[in-house]
Amino acid sequence: MSDADFDVQYIERDDRSARVLIRGLTPAFANGIRRAMIADVPTFSIDTVRFVENSSVMFDEMIGLRLGLVPLTTPLDEFEVGDEVTLALDVEGPATAYSGDIETSEPMVEPADDNVPIIELKEGQRIELEADAVLDTGKEHAKHQGGVSVGYRHLQHVTVDGDRGEFDEDETNVLRGVIETEDGDIVPTAAFDHDLSEKYPGKELTVEDVPGAFVFHIETDGSLSVEELLLRAIDTIEERADELHTKVSV
Amino acid sequence: MELRVIEKTEEELRLEIAGEDHTFMNVLKGALLETDDVAAATYDVNPEQSGGQTDPILTVKTESGDPLDAVGTATEAINEKTTALADAVKAA
Repeated sequence: MSDADFDVQYIERDDRSARVLIRGLTPAFANGIRRAMIADVPTFSIDTVRFVENSSVMFDEMIGLRLGLVPLTTPLDEFEVGDEVTLALDVEGPATAYSGDIETSEPMVEPADDNVPIIELKEGQRIELEADAVLDTGKEHAKHQGGVSVGYRHLQHVTVDGDRGEFDEDETNVLRGVIETEDGDIVPTAAFDHDLSEKYPGKELTVEDVPGAFVFHIETDGSLSVEELLLRAIDTIEERADELHTKVSV
Repeated sequence: MELRVIEKTEEELRLEIAGEDHTFMNVLKGALLETDDVAAATYDVNPEQSGGQTDPILTVKTESGDPLDAVGTATEAINEKTTALADAVKAA
């Protein structure tokens, strides 16, 4: 534990989704990070709406719910939990109101996507509203979750034991995730159609989990980048450890 | 994070840690079990719907030494780990 020796390697990396291999984790720690990414990293989300006009076919509350689910970019260095930012929307039919029509009073906090439909308006219908987005955590409400699909699997090591018997059935060997070959190559199973018999035809194989090696699949809703989400999740655990440390030392 | 000591003897501690859930408690338990002189460490938490006690209760037994010190050492170890991991993530 004291010789904290971590190895982090990106297997796939995009703005909003990534596969990250982390070696040297304990299962408890890996799960702590996963849970923190889902529930403890705060993001902005619309929480209060003041309607000036709503002559659409939907009730105010239904539009309020839809607005809450629009991901907003969240620069966490500039804000803290509980901070509010005012946004506004004014669309007249015939048109569809999209998240991209939302005006913001704070350019750092804006819809992460411009193409989320909010409501279709017919001739003569109009919505005009003012909304307050608040910074809070996924623990409070799922709309504040920054990570939308976060999970991990063990890294799996594949050893070739030898050739399969000449008259043995050629069975498929389906595996999902990421494997480590005998040469130490890291290969996502998608590369061979998730079937080990494609990569090693006619071979006898042993597959086992690599202890302490976790492949995280992280996908964000656009409020934060993958790296930011991961770092912030690690930070929240550190903050809690520090807080407990201060309190027990007194 | 509100702490409430429920029971404390020389080698045993029962501590309520309000406002925390499995996210941190399991990490803390894991760290305590890897701490020297800790004989046993666990936590117990009831679901929200159960009513009554819903904050986690940490139980630590030591072979020797103050269990509060063991908690202190464990939190330091977590800090060390998170710092190292954050650096490794930034470097990747």
